[in-house]
Amino acid sequence: MTTASPDPLSTEFVGRRWPLFWLTLKTGLLTVLTLGLYRFWMKTRIRRWYWSAIRPGGHPLEYVGDPFEKLLGFLIAVVFLAFYIGIVNLLLMFASFTLFHGNVAAYLVSFVGVIPLWFYAQYRARRYILARTRWRGLRFGLEPGAWGYAGRALVHWLVTILSLGLLMPRMTFWLEKYRTDRTFFGTERFEQGGRWTMLYRAMRPLFVAAILLLATITVFLTTQDPLPTALLGALGSILFVYGLVHYRVESLRLLTNEKRLAGVQLAVDPSALRVFWITAFGYLLTGLAILIPGGILGGLFVLVQFPDQFATDPNLAFLSALPRWTLVLASVLLYFTIFLLWSALTHVFVTLPVMRHYAARLTIAGPHHLTSIRQRPRDSAEQAEGFAEALDVGASL
Amino acid sequence: MSRAPLQIRVGNNAPRFQATGQFLSGTHASPQEVTVTVDEDIGALTWVDGEGETHSWPFPVIREVPDQAGRDIMVLRNYYDPVQRLILPDREITPRLPNRTHRAPVTKRGRLIAWAVAALASVALIIGVLVPRMADQMALLIPTEGERALGETTLGQIRAALDETGLAPVPVCDGAPGLAALSAMTDKLTFHVDLPVELNVVVLDHDMVNAFALPGGYVVLFDGLINAARTPEELAAVMAHEIGHVVSRDPTRHALRSAGSIGVLGLLFGDFAGGAAVLFLTERLINAQYSQAAEETADIFAHELMRLAEIPPSALADMFRRFQELGGDAEGIMAHLSSHPQLRDRIQAAEATEQVQAVSTLLDPAAWNALRAICR
Repeated sequence: MTTASPDPLSTEFVGRRWPLFWLTLKTGLLTVLTLGLYRFWMKTRIRRWYWSAIRPGGHPLEYVGDPFEKLLGFLIAVVFLAFYIGIVNLLLMFASFTLFHGNVAAYLVSFVGVIPLWFYAQYRARRYILARTRWRGLRFGLEPGAWGYAGRALVHWLVTILSLGLLMPRMTFWLEKYRTDRTFFGTERFEQGGRWTMLYRAMRPLFVAAILLLATITVFLTTQDPLPTALLGALGSILFVYGLVHYRVESLRLLTNEKRLAGVQLAVDPSALRVFWITAFGYLLTGLAILIPGGILGGLFVLVQFPDQFATDPNLAFLSALPRWTLVLASVLLYFTIFLLWSALTHVFVTLPVMRHYAARLTIAGPHHLTSIRQRPRDSAEQAEGFAEALDVGASL
Repeated sequence: MSRAPLQIRVGNNAPRFQATGQFLSGTHASPQEVTVTVDEDIGALTWVDGEGETHSWPFPVIREVPDQAGRDIMVLRNYYDPVQRLILPDREITPRLPNRTHRAPVTKRGRLIAWAVAALASVALIIGVLVPRMADQMALLIPTEGERALGETTLGQIRAALDETGLAPVPVCDGAPGLAALSAMTDKLTFHVDLPVELNVVVLDHDMVNAFALPGGYVVLFDGLINAARTPEELAAVMAHEIGHVVSRDPTRHALRSAGSIGVLGLLFGDFAGGAAVLFLTERLINAQYSQAAEETADIFAHELMRLAEIPPSALADMFRRFQELGGDAEGIMAHLSSHPQLRDRIQAAEATEQVQAVSTLLDPAAWNALRAICR
């Protein structure tokens, strides 16, 4: 580090669980009641909340995305995608049944056809989110380049798959560099430094997991002994899942630490183990909390399906005496309750603590370089996240 | 930070609002610490920024930025300025801001409406015009094997969609004596005609009083229908009607149409409501509302087929009456038929058409009982 500033800015996270729980539950309920229309408002509000919770250097981020903009972008995407999904897929279906007497070929071609669009949508969504994110009153921004990104992503994925994952760091690095080098804060451009080979460090647990899994196969083929095979296999699988999390977190750390912005240097130091633990424990807690309404739903379901079985039991006879529609209604309500609870609780137990962990570990060195940065013009980003919304790219935030 | 609590001003000695806030000018990345006071004469928050410029935001134009996680501060914006922000260290000023929670302006309302109309129009055009036209053409072009595969796939989807247990698709009934009786009935019914496709009659173990045709010569009968019919002739009449649809390739057109429409509706409604749209379309498929003309053609075909097989066409009228009797009690499906005003016309048509005398019973009682027990 060459900057002279002695005290980098640290980041505060001020979000609490209860307000987030109520916000996600309330907006989720409105989404259900409006047949999904409110989801554009839900996403905006939840994002606004998260952004405002993160305060690098004591100043909250602000998300200024507009639900109407999102709705507009979605409608634009519908105009194009309806054509693809309706007409192109029908033609594919026809060709597939005519030539191959089945629909597998159609699904395959249709899926492959969507992949470039998927990457395109990802980039466009990122552009919209950055264009609507502000810190200290200045806008972030991402230069246009979604098709270039889609093309590169396709080639990198192909290379990664052909190399059995060995060249994954190359993909991660170059795609991140493509995005970062087009990212702005105000008038100033970000720069991704470093080399792609530095990311191999992040792959270590994955390599160990691969060796363990290979050993599992070897043990199975040579000894046929189920116990050591199962133990090794279980260990290898858990380590593999951890390895994926580790790779994500570590590569993020390594890449972030090499980002520059006009002399400003970002640094993040998250713990992969901590993120893994938060995620696993968070989903466990959510699952346990869902068990209660889930159990009731299961009971009602059995009752709706096999009402006669309960008529004989004096304790449950009153239940089978209820009109069938009340049971169906109760089941539907419970189903949506579970759906809403699941989304609210994963926010509270997984997304929030993970984000808090990242925020707490984020510092900004050389903040005095920020003073020279000026505002950038507004990016109308008309399609907003329409395609990402329609294609369901990266569902969470 | 020096600040007096907000009070109603009484006389000249009343305490004045004063707070140390952060002003984000929206032009550069340096927040400015400013002293914010209230200008009581015009009713506005006012402060002097780092460049010496005086800002004055009248209370009615001040909005609070919503959904903030940190309640320790208050982030304010001006309705007429998209980028400037004033961050106050507490919420003391709240009662003075009459429009604090009002909406920010909606931009591009016109464009929004235009695209909404375009989106709905393109979906309507695709589902209402393009997909049906293409499906009609494709139904004529698709080769027999392809059509059969389409029928098979669609049957699989319908069986999965009708399942209520969440465990396995609705089972196909295959009691051997029942199948033999069913095939005897089908053979008698089609003995005198040369069908363009091979028939494949399937019975599903479901209480619905219904039957439908699928591409590739599939005629699907529900157990509920078999048990609602009082005579083999009534059942044969429904089968003859469905064979009429098979011959006209109505189901092929229908299946291709729904294949083109399901995805579009799923797209429009998003995740979980999209599932409902798919179910709805599956229901449409079973409950195939073919055009008036298509139904009449299938009826006329059925009359002819029954005459050739020496079954009185009035059996179709009997079966329709059965639907009418069951009316709303019958589970789903044929309900639309029974409430349909055209049903009376169709009963009259089946009775007015040239009748034949039944030479022998279509199935002997033993075979008929076997068929009724096909799902047991």
